[in-house]
Amino acid sequence: MSTISTALRNFKEPTKEQLTQNFFSLSGAVFSDASAEKSQEIEKMDINAVLSLGVEGVEDSYAGKLYLMPPCLTFTSLDRKSVRFTLPLCTVRRVERLNARAGIYALSLSSWHGMKIIVQLTSLRPTADLFCSLLRDALKVELQRGRMKAVKGFVKTCYSEVLVSSPAPENEREDGSLMTTEEKDAATANESAYHGGLGLRFKFPGDAKKLREASKIKLWTTYLKAHGRNLTLLRYPQCTRLVQVGLPNRLRGEMWEVLSGSIYLRFASPGYYEQLLVENKGRSSTSTEDIEKDLHRSLPEYAGYQSDEGISALRRVLQAYSFKNPELGYCQAMNILAAAILIYMSEEQTFWLLEVLCDRLLPGYYAPSMHGTLLDQRVFESLVQRCLPIIHDHFQTVDVQLSVASLPWFLSLFINSMPMIFAFRIVDCFFCMGPKVLFQVGSVSILKINGEKLLQIQDDGGFLNHMREYFASLGESAHPNSTDPRARAITNFQELLLVSFREFSVITDEMIQGERKRFRSEIIHSIESFSKRSSIRNLRTLERFTKDQAGLIYDALYKAMCIVPPPPVVLPPPSLLNTNDGTEEKPETRIGLRTFQYFLSEVATWARDEKIVMNGFQQRIDREVAEHEFIDRLFFFWDVSCRGALSFQDLVSGLDGVMFNDLMENIEWFFNLHDKNKDGFLTKDEVLTLSESFLFIFRYEIGDAYLGAVSRFMTNAFEYGDALLPREEGSNDSEPLPSPTIASNLPYLNLATFRMVVLADEILESFFETDLSASFRLEPLPEMELPVSSSGILGDLWSTIATDSNKRMFNMFTDEIGKAVGKHQVVHRPSIGRYTKLEEPKARESLLTPAMRRSMSQGNLSGKAKEDEIKAAASSSSLTVDAVMQPSKDAISAPPSSTIYSPIPKPLIQASTLAFMERTPFAIDDAKDEDDESEDEVDGEDNDDQVLDEVDAFLEAHDSGLTDADKELAKDLRTAEPVK
Amino acid sequence: MAEAASGSTDKSVQVKLVLLGEAAVGKSSVVLRFVSNEFQANKEPTIGAAFLTQKCRLEDHVLRYEIWDTAGQERFHSLAPMYYRNAQAAVVVYDVTKASSLEKAKSWVKELQRQANPNIVIALAGNKVDLVQSSSSSAHPASSSESEDEADDATATPGETPASSGGEPEGLRQVPREEAQAYATEAGLLFFETSAKTGEGIVELFTEIAKKIPIGTILASARGSAGRAGANGGRAGTGQEGVNLDENAAKPKDACNC
Repeated sequence: MSTISTALRNFKEPTKEQLTQNFFSLSGAVFSDASAEKSQEIEKMDINAVLSLGVEGVEDSYAGKLYLMPPCLTFTSLDRKSVRFTLPLCTVRRVERLNARAGIYALSLSSWHGMKIIVQLTSLRPTADLFCSLLRDALKVELQRGRMKAVKGFVKTCYSEVLVSSPAPENEREDGSLMTTEEKDAATANESAYHGGLGLRFKFPGDAKKLREASKIKLWTTYLKAHGRNLTLLRYPQCTRLVQVGLPNRLRGEMWEVLSGSIYLRFASPGYYEQLLVENKGRSSTSTEDIEKDLHRSLPEYAGYQSDEGISALRRVLQAYSFKNPELGYCQAMNILAAAILIYMSEEQTFWLLEVLCDRLLPGYYAPSMHGTLLDQRVFESLVQRCLPIIHDHFQTVDVQLSVASLPWFLSLFINSMPMIFAFRIVDCFFCMGPKVLFQVGSVSILKINGEKLLQIQDDGGFLNHMREYFASLGESAHPNSTDPRARAITNFQELLLVSFREFSVITDEMIQGERKRFRSEIIHSIESFSKRSSIRNLRTLERFTKDQAGLIYDALYKAMCIVPPPPVVLPPPSLLNTNDGTEEKPETRIGLRTFQYFLSEVATWARDEKIVMNGFQQRIDREVAEHEFIDRLFFFWDVSCRGALSFQDLVSGLDGVMFNDLMENIEWFFNLHDKNKDGFLTKDEVLTLSESFLFIFRYEIGDAYLGAVSRFMTNAFEYGDALLPREEGSNDSEPLPSPTIASNLPYLNLATFRMVVLADEILESFFETDLSASFRLEPLPEMELPVSSSGILGDLWSTIATDSNKRMFNMFTDEIGKAVGKHQVVHRPSIGRYTKLEEPKARESLLTPAMRRSMSQGNLSGKAKEDEIKAAASSSSLTVDAVMQPSKDAISAPPSSTIYSPIPKPLIQASTLAFMERTPFAIDDAKDEDDESEDEVDGEDNDDQVLDEVDAFLEAHDSGLTDADKELAKDLRTAEPVK
Repeated sequence: MAEAASGSTDKSVQVKLVLLGEAAVGKSSVVLRFVSNEFQANKEPTIGAAFLTQKCRLEDHVLRYEIWDTAGQERFHSLAPMYYRNAQAAVVVYDVTKASSLEKAKSWVKELQRQANPNIVIALAGNKVDLVQSSSSSAHPASSSESEDEADDATATPGETPASSGGEPEGLRQVPREEAQAYATEAGLLFFETSAKTGEGIVELFTEIAKKIPIGTILASARGSAGRAGANGGRAGTGQEGVNLDENAAKPKDACNC
C-alpha cells in the first residue's frame, strides 16, 4: 500500500516578484499577513536611488534600487551583493524630504535605532513623487495596524540590544554562555528579556579563545552601533566579511535570524508558536512518532541533549513544525538541523528558522518525495561537470556517484559531516549569502581542493573514506611544510572558504535557479516512475493482470488524479480498522467519485462521450467524461471496504472482476452490480435501473438494434418475472391473474431468470459474451506533459490545459469555417460499434435527429450541459493563458547553453582545472591591516588584528556604482537640512 | 580485526552489502557492532547512507565487506536504489518488538528480489532480541522501565510497548521467531535473530552471508578484469550518473551473474 502523489505536477516556478522577495529574505507569509488585514493590496514600487549613511566617513555611498514592498522597504546596490537592507516600515520613525540643490530629490529616514540613512531618488521627478506618496500611504497603514508600537517590545528579545547598550553582562563566560544559573537575580532579568539557545546553559561548542570570541564581539558591537541591528540591520560589505570569519556564539542565533529573514516572520506572528503548541497538545501523527524515535539521536554528544530540557525543546519545535506543515511533516535530518539551531536560538526562533529553511532556502528538500534534494544533487553534479570536468570524467569512468557523499552535506548543512564548529561557519555563510553557498563550498571547492586524491579513487567507498578523512582534518594546517609561519597558520577550513568565495563566486543564485529549471522535469519523471513501480509492487495482488497492464491502470488513475485531485491522504478512523490480518494500516491514496469518473473514461469506452468531428479541414475526436448513475453504481460496487473511496488495489481488483469474464460470469457480474442489497433478487425498480444502464452503454450505438434489444429485454423481463411470481392460493393455472401485484421494491427477478431473459436475445448475448469485457481497454496513454520550466504563474498543469485550450481554439475556428462551407459534421463514436455496417448506412443523420436525442438518458443530457460548461470555461481561460504563454515561449526559444548557462568563462574552467596541481598562494599576508580599533586592550589587539586579517582576506572590490561627483553629492546630503 | 580504512585490497574479495529496514530498528547499530564491536545507545539517524568496511576471514579467503548502511525513514526510500545497485548481499533488519517493522522488511525483500542484482544474498535479521529475553545473567528481573533502558538504542519508546509488558520480557515481543523463520524460509532468505546491544547473532549473520556468496565466481571475474576488485568487475564503463531511480536504465550486470 502506498500513497500516490501528484503534488510535483503542481510545481510553480517562482515569479519575478517572488525572486525579489527571496533576495531580500522575505517569505510570502510576511506579505499575506499584511495584506489580509488591509482589504486591498498595498501597492509596490521600485525606484533607482543612491544610499548613504547619515554618519560622516563610516561608509561609502552606493547606487542601487529602492523597493517599496509593504510592510517592508528594501534596498540593494547595483551589484546585488555589496549593500542591502530589508527594513520593516514600522521601524521607520521619521521620513523627511531634504532641502538640497535644485533637481536633487532626497529623503532622510530615521530608523527606530536612531540611525539616519539618506536615499537620493534618482528617477524622474514625477516617479519620485509617486514613490513618496506610496511610501507615505504604506507608513500610515503600518501605523494603523499598530505595528510601530510592537517594535519596542520586540527588540527587547534580541541579544544585540544588550550588547550595544552595555558592556557584556558580567555573568557571561568568555564563550558567551552564562556563568551559572543559580545566581541569577540579575541574570533572570536578562535571560527572560532576550531569546537565546541551549548554549547559554550548556555552553557553546568550540574553544572560545581559539574562536577569538571577544574580538569578534567587539567588531560586531561597533558594526551594530553604526549600521543598525536586528530589524533594522543594514548589510554593508563589512557585515558579510564579518560573517565569513564566523559569527560569535552569543550573537549567532540572532544573526541567523536576521540574515535568513526568519526574524520578520517571528515579528509578524507574535505568539503563534505557543498557540500552535497549545492547540495541538496531545495530538499524535506519523510525524510525531517519527520525531519521538529521533529525539535522543540528535547531536547526542552535546550536553544539552543529554538533559530533559534540551530533548523537550527539540520535541516541541519539531512537533510544532509538523503541525504547521502537515504535508511535509517530519524528515530525518531536520532533527539534526533543529538540534544544532537550538544551541543558538530559542524554540520560537528555531521554529521560524525551520520554516524559512523548509520553505525558502531548501525548497522541497524534506518533502515526502524529497524532490528538492534529488534535484539539487542533479544540479550539483552538473556544476561539477562544468567547473571540474576532469574530476567529473574520472567519477564517470569509475562509476562513482557524487551524491553518495554529497547528499548528506546538503540535507544536514554539513552539520553531521564536519566538526560542528566548522559546519556552523558554513551555516553562517549560508544564511548570509543564500543556498549557493552549499554549492560553492560544499560541492565544488571541497572537490577541487581534494582533486588530486579524488582522481585516485576507484569506487564509492574510497570516495567516502577520503571525504571523511578530509573533514576530520579541517582544523589542521593547509600548508604544514611552508616556511612562512603565516601560511602555516592557515587551516584547511580557511583555505576551503577562500577557494569557495574567490574562485567559485561564479556560481550564482541565478545559475542555480537556471539549472534547477533545466533538470526539474527529469527529476520529477524519475520520481514518478519510481513511485509507479512501488505502487504496483505493493499491490496485494495483481489479480490476473500482468505488471504492464497494472502499469496502464496506474497511468489512467494517475491521469485522473491530475485532473481531479483526490482528498488528502488520511488514516481511516480506528473504528473502521478491523482488518483481519492485524497488520498496521498505512496511509493510502484513495480516489473519490469524480476522480473515478475520469479514471473510468480512460479505460471503458462507454464511460466517455466521444464525438468525431469533421469540418472539411480535419477529423478529430473530442472526448468528454460521461456521467451516469451506472458509473456511480460501479464505484460503490468496487468499494469493497466501504470507505466511499477507491484505492489502486480496489481498481485493479474491480477491473479484474469484469475484464476476464466469460458469458455466464458477465451476466452474473452485471446482475450483482444492480442487486443493491445482494439478496439474489432484483426488484422491479432495479430491473428498470438495469435497463437504463443498458441504454446508457448503448447510447451511441448506430441503428435501432440495441434499442430494440433493450425494449425486448424489458418486455421479457417483466413477462417472465410476472409469470414466476408466487400465485395466490386457490388461483388455478388456467386463470392467470391479470395484473400480478408486487411492490416495486420487493424481490422480483432472480439470476436464473435474468440469465434466461438475456440469452433470449442475440444482441444481449453477444454483449455479455465479448463486448462488455472488450469495452474495457487498457491502452498506453500519451505521455502527459511534464511541468515545463517555462510556465510562469500558472504552473505545469496549466500548461497542458493551455495547449489543450489552444487546440480547442483552433478547433472552434475550423468548426466555424466548416459550418460556413457546410462541411461540419459531428458523429458520436459508438462504445461497442458492432453494428456499424450491418444495419444503418445513414447512421449519422439519424443520430442527429432530435428524436434520437430525446431518447438519450437523462444522465447523458446533464453530461451535455457539463460539456458546454467546460467548453465555455476553456475558451475564457484560453485568453489569459495565451497572454502568459507568449513571453514564456520566448524564454524557451533562447538557446540555453549560450545565453543563460555560461557565466563561467572558458578560461576560468581551464584555470580551475590547472589549479588542481598547483594551489595558488593566498593573499592573506598581503591583506592590509585596518587599524581603526581605538580600544586599547593589550592582549585583545593582536587577536583583533588576526580576525581583521581574516576579514580582509575576504575583501573584494566593491563597486559603489557612483562617480566621484555623485559621491560628493551624497556627502553633501548628509548635512542637508529638512525641507520646512 | 577491525580495519575501517580502505587498506590494501589484494587477495581479499570485496563484497558490497547493503542494510535496509524501517527507521530505528537498529541497522546502524548492527553494523557498528560488526565493524568495531561497539554499541552506542543513541546513534544519530543515518542521513542518506553511511559507509563502513570490515574484513571477514572465511576458510582460505578473506572477505572485505563494503557495508552501506541506509536511512530508514520512508521518504528516503527513493534513494535506496542508489545504494543497493551492484550489491551482492543485503541484510534486511526488523525489530522483534515491532510487528510493522517486519511488514516493511517484507516489502524491502520484495523490492530487492525484483530490482536488485538477481544473485543477491539476502538475510533477514530480527534485531533487539535482548529486549525479549529473560535476562538470566541479570540479578533482578527486567521491569518495564528497565527493559526500555536496555533497548538496542533508545528508540524503543514507551508508546510502542504493549501494555502487557509487566514483568514478562517475552511480552514485548511482537514478532514470533517461528513466524519470521517461516517467512524467511519461504522467501529463500537467511534468518537470524540478533542483538546489536549484546552482540548476539551478529558475527554469525555476517559469516553465514559470507558462506553463501559465490566467491569463486567473484574471484574468477576479478582475475578476468583489469586489476579491479571483483565487486567492481562489471561496473566500469556504465555511464550512469546522478541519483538513478529508473529501473529501466541499463543495470550493470555483475560478472558473477553468469
